[in-house]
Amino acid sequence: MKRSWYATPYALWMLLFAVVPLLFVCWYAFTTPDGAFTTANFREFAKPRYVGVILRSLKLALYCTAVCLVIGYPTAWFLAGRGFNHAQSLVVLILLPMWMNLLLRTYAMMTLLDDNGVLNAALQALGLGKIHIIGTEGAVLMGLVYNYLPFMVLPIYTVLKKMDYSVIEAAEDLGCNPLRVFTRVVIPMSVPGIVSGVTMVFMPAVTSFAISTLLSNGKLRLAGDLIDYIFNQSSNPNRWNIGSSFSLMMLVLILISIGFLRKVDPDSEGGGMW
Amino acid sequence: MVQDMRLIELKGVCKSFGDTHVLHDVDLYIRKCEFITLLGPSGCGKTTLLRIIGGFDMPSSGEVLFEGKDMTGIPPYKRRINTVFQKYALFNHLNVYDNIAFGLNLKTPEQLGVKTKKEKKDEIARRVGRMLKLVKMEGYEKRSTDALSGGQQQRIAIARALVNEPEVLLLDEPLGALDLKLRKEMQLELKAMQQQLGITFIYVTHDQEEALTMSDTIAVMNGGRVQQIGDPKRIYDEPKNAFVADFIGESNILDGVMLQDDLVKFSGTEFQCVDEGFGTNAPVDVVVRPEDIMIVGEDVGMLAGTVESVIFKGVHYEMMIRGEGAGESILWKVHSTTMQPVGTRVGMTIVPYNIHIMRKATTADAVPVAQAAEEEA
Amino acid sequence: MVRNNRTVRSVRAVWMTLLMLFLYAPILVMIALSFNASVSRSQWTGFTLDWYVKLFHDPAILGALRTTIEVAVIATVISTVIGTLGAIGMHAMNAGMANVLINVSYLPMTTPDIVTGVSLMLMYLFCHVPLGKWTMIMAHIAFDIPYVLFSVMPKLKQMNPNLYEAALDLGCHPVKALYKVIIPEITPGIFTGALLAFTMSLDDFVISYFTSSDMYPNLSRIVYASTKLGVKPTMYALSTLMFATILILLILVNKRTKLENL
Repeated sequence: MKRSWYATPYALWMLLFAVVPLLFVCWYAFTTPDGAFTTANFREFAKPRYVGVILRSLKLALYCTAVCLVIGYPTAWFLAGRGFNHAQSLVVLILLPMWMNLLLRTYAMMTLLDDNGVLNAALQALGLGKIHIIGTEGAVLMGLVYNYLPFMVLPIYTVLKKMDYSVIEAAEDLGCNPLRVFTRVVIPMSVPGIVSGVTMVFMPAVTSFAISTLLSNGKLRLAGDLIDYIFNQSSNPNRWNIGSSFSLMMLVLILISIGFLRKVDPDSEGGGMW
Repeated sequence: MVQDMRLIELKGVCKSFGDTHVLHDVDLYIRKCEFITLLGPSGCGKTTLLRIIGGFDMPSSGEVLFEGKDMTGIPPYKRRINTVFQKYALFNHLNVYDNIAFGLNLKTPEQLGVKTKKEKKDEIARRVGRMLKLVKMEGYEKRSTDALSGGQQQRIAIARALVNEPEVLLLDEPLGALDLKLRKEMQLELKAMQQQLGITFIYVTHDQEEALTMSDTIAVMNGGRVQQIGDPKRIYDEPKNAFVADFIGESNILDGVMLQDDLVKFSGTEFQCVDEGFGTNAPVDVVVRPEDIMIVGEDVGMLAGTVESVIFKGVHYEMMIRGEGAGESILWKVHSTTMQPVGTRVGMTIVPYNIHIMRKATTADAVPVAQAAEEEA
Repeated sequence: MVRNNRTVRSVRAVWMTLLMLFLYAPILVMIALSFNASVSRSQWTGFTLDWYVKLFHDPAILGALRTTIEVAVIATVISTVIGTLGAIGMHAMNAGMANVLINVSYLPMTTPDIVTGVSLMLMYLFCHVPLGKWTMIMAHIAFDIPYVLFSVMPKLKQMNPNLYEAALDLGCHPVKALYKVIIPEITPGIFTGALLAFTMSLDDFVISYFTSSDMYPNLSRIVYASTKLGVKPTMYALSTLMFATILILLILVNKRTKLENL
């Protein structure tokens, strides 16, 4: 028996449980419940109640990506710095939450931000008065940043860490002051990491599920929650088809992002997740 | 010692990987108890040839005979051949003893000439002990292979192969990773082992000195073809073509014209030589070894020239001497134990039997060789 | 990258402290609340283990715990076997074919979890397979396999290609050579892969949510359902235990391989 045959169970399993299900999504997205071809499922999303959710998803995902970049870049930069003794353990600490249950992390955030939660208790103790944050877009944004920040730090850190320090010394030698070294050498060289990080934050943020529901007491739905709603709660007879068309659109959006990423960073220098 | 019995015979063996032709129509036979070396630059196909003999690769066409029987389709684990791999390929999860015993453990008690499992265990211990002694590694049984030096790992790899008492041992550049001194020691030890055990060794290397030291027979390969087969002395003294001359030892290779039998003209001068049968006015390659050029007084030499550079090489000096007159374009490489300062005019003399004449490689031969070399690069 | 002068060091210290606070404060608060005697989310009224005791007397939670562990164990075992064999097979293939198969593994890793979940649910419902424990296990195996594959593949690539040939050369049958030489050589990778698969399985919420039903909830599903019912300190206790378990597993994984390289 040739050794290549050992891959048969793998190929079959992945075909059946990773490829075929996506084909089902495509099939349902383009058909009516009777199985006739249609593109009407995609037009559902022009309806105001869906458009609002989609726009909110895009908006919050963009904000989230921007905030993650602003927090993540300096963090990665500090971590990659020379002579930072604790860098290694800090990297692990920053990455750990990435592997932890998203639901639990969000639940913890929810507890903290609650009107009667620890944050407000602390603010009151300091005499700053209560703030109402849970249920607002601010809370959702915080939840998204909290969940996806590590995805921004990791690729930028990887790129900066790999950067040859002699390049910076060369720039200094050629007369760059520290600010110029940063803007003309460090940032341009870390572009692959930035692109990778932006994609890796934006993609899960725009498809996120449950985070927003939990942090807004169910008031603010995002795209992921919408899919859940359509499949599991709506009474529309077309719900599988409409839900599929929406899932397909998200998948295409993700694939476009990945295509973009591969183009900008073809050697996955950004230490991508895939 | 070398008996004229063909143990392994390759007939018209070709091998290609995709569009790359690695071996072209190789014919070769290997006699029992012979130490044969496949010698050539990297990418010449020597390792592929070894892997075909070992059964790891199949020839694209042609056949491999073992004692006259075709063994082309027989898998490696059914061949009475064992291999010492380039990077040793020791099993890290097993200790030294278990590495050597690996092949024996797979055999039945009957195959080891005993009856019970207990006896098999003792027999294995006996044979492994004998091998450790042969490779001078007694007392290392329980060591982990990671804890061994390169030279020691090499010895274990040899013991692991030899303990199975193969008819043929294949060695793929086994000394390549060792430092020079250790390599020289191991060359002599391997040669001694081969003579003591009376096993056929097929040895692959790109190191011509190693090949000359150890082999009964050398097959020089280039571009997927065997260029010349012969004993070391013959290969060195009578290279069959310019490639072999250049690859084995150092050479001055010149264009010349064979004026008639025993008379050749090169560097604008006529020389007596000892080669016949090339016809008259035939273009030839002339090979002269650097150590065969004698430096004489500037007016008494057959050729004259000026020293352009001198390098001290330990045993001798290597001088580059620019020829004069009609041979002005020629830069001679000369080895001599006496040094001539740069700029000195010297005379050079070559005795007839040190002038080696070879036919020009015909274009038909030369083109595919060059192509193959390019493809492999 | 950074010159190690004093200003930089203090800015860095402040920055990192704030960041750690942001990342870990919510988790620490929740852990604290799980030991809080009061139901209040802001007032500490004394240490108690009551919530943990209650947790282990709640049949629903114990059932979910059993389901979660059962699913993780079964999915880990099957995905480790399939993934390891797959890696060995692909390693022996020509590069083109292997690339196609490896890319299939990127699919579940790049597809948003929710789309993966929905797609599997659609397939199950279409085939009239009732959602339950086994539908969840099948889904977990599918997303676990890539983790095993990507842990084993590098070990195979690092392996001296002559090792397998050496075993054949010494008389080993190919199948025997597989478990006598190749498997021992890549065991560290297999363990890492299995550990990762187990962690991912325990940790999963979204895909489990779509591929099982309320009849067979796992722990994540119980937590999710409870969020709609207001404060329940037992949930803090449960979350704390889950965090702790996953933390331990991740530390084990990190000892074997750097997390940031995954």
